[in-house]
Amino acid sequence: MTTAMQPSGGGGGGFARPNASGLADVLDTILDKGLVIDAYVRVSLVGIELLTVDARIVIASVDTYLRFAEAVNRLDISQEKEGLPGLIGDLEHNGAKNKTKGALEAAGDKLREFAGGYEEPQRAGRRSRREGD
Amino acid sequence: MAVQDTDTRKPAVYVYGILPADIELEPGAAGVGDPPGEVRVVRRGDLAALVSDVDLTKPLGRPDDLFAHEGLLDAAAAEVPVLPLRFGALVSSDDAVAEELLQGHRDEFVTALSQLEDRVEYVVRGRYDEQGILREVLGGNPPAARLANQIRGADPDATRELRIQLGEILNSEVAAKREKDTRAVGDAVDGLVEASVVRPPSSELDAVYIALLVRTDAVDDLEEAVSRLANDWAGRVDLNLIGPLAAYDFVGAPAATAAATAHRELT
Repeated sequence: MTTAMQPSGGGGGGFARPNASGLADVLDTILDKGLVIDAYVRVSLVGIELLTVDARIVIASVDTYLRFAEAVNRLDISQEKEGLPGLIGDLEHNGAKNKTKGALEAAGDKLREFAGGYEEPQRAGRRSRREGD
Repeated sequence: MAVQDTDTRKPAVYVYGILPADIELEPGAAGVGDPPGEVRVVRRGDLAALVSDVDLTKPLGRPDDLFAHEGLLDAAAAEVPVLPLRFGALVSSDDAVAEELLQGHRDEFVTALSQLEDRVEYVVRGRYDEQGILREVLGGNPPAARLANQIRGADPDATRELRIQLGEILNSEVAAKREKDTRAVGDAVDGLVEASVVRPPSSELDAVYIALLVRTDAVDDLEEAVSRLANDWAGRVDLNLIGPLAAYDFVGAPAATAAATAHRELT
């Protein structure tokens, strides 16, 4: 698995190659998806403590709405292009010019805090090819 | 579901996934647990399971465990068909794996594996540029723009209701754009993929989050199609293609797989 060249900034100027899963993607994948033995098949299961993970589901709520409004407040007016009604004028510029991340990221970023230093997924050894291939 | 009285002194068997029996496992593959358990193969007839022993006195779910689970399965899926299990499946013994799991569901597993032959999963995940998408929404929604004007620089407590109102409009508009942009990805890869499943957004700024099942000989075309879209969306959406992955989104209970959109008959 190759690691993509990530475009800098929030812009996404096109990616180069498929990339490996970060922790957030792994959580979305292996905790929600895949075969479940107890729901699908009956096998003698054993109990073990599983560490709980913060809720990852985004549920629209008043907090969500307030975060959106806050993000609007941080829009950099000096970058205004023509055609945005009502935003240009004697408004307070709050100096948040270089903040590309904001409160809107909060829900998704819970995982990044949780992940801490685990940016690179560990890769197990590759499986050998099928015999006879 | 039968859960045995757990004798925590004995190791339990952690199951990662189900594969055809004729695989070779490289020695030293590291599994879950601390220290990582050694991954091995349990075979029964024409099926195999990747397993490792785990210590029941220690909880599972550290980031290392999650990466080990997925890393093992994704590496395998790049070479052979794999039915990936959800994280956390523990069985009492190798015998239970062989008899109850593999033999007990042999026909279903063999069929599912044959459907995944030469196929692999990719996930397209995109996130809006925050400033860009807000400008886009405000530019197209004058009432929202007027609200934005009213709240800018104003006392937060005094404008709380207005801010909630504005936020609700923005949330709804972004959700509409997410739907539209998700369809755009679907259109861009139509003809290249065999099935797709839309995943629920993981953040308010998600533009697209979709799992794709693709033949391995179509992967280059898929990369090209997504790359073109990424260029079109440069500055607006940060688009990423993740894979190859085991087919997590395309296995499971019949209800779950029914949610997958079939683009073509799976042979």
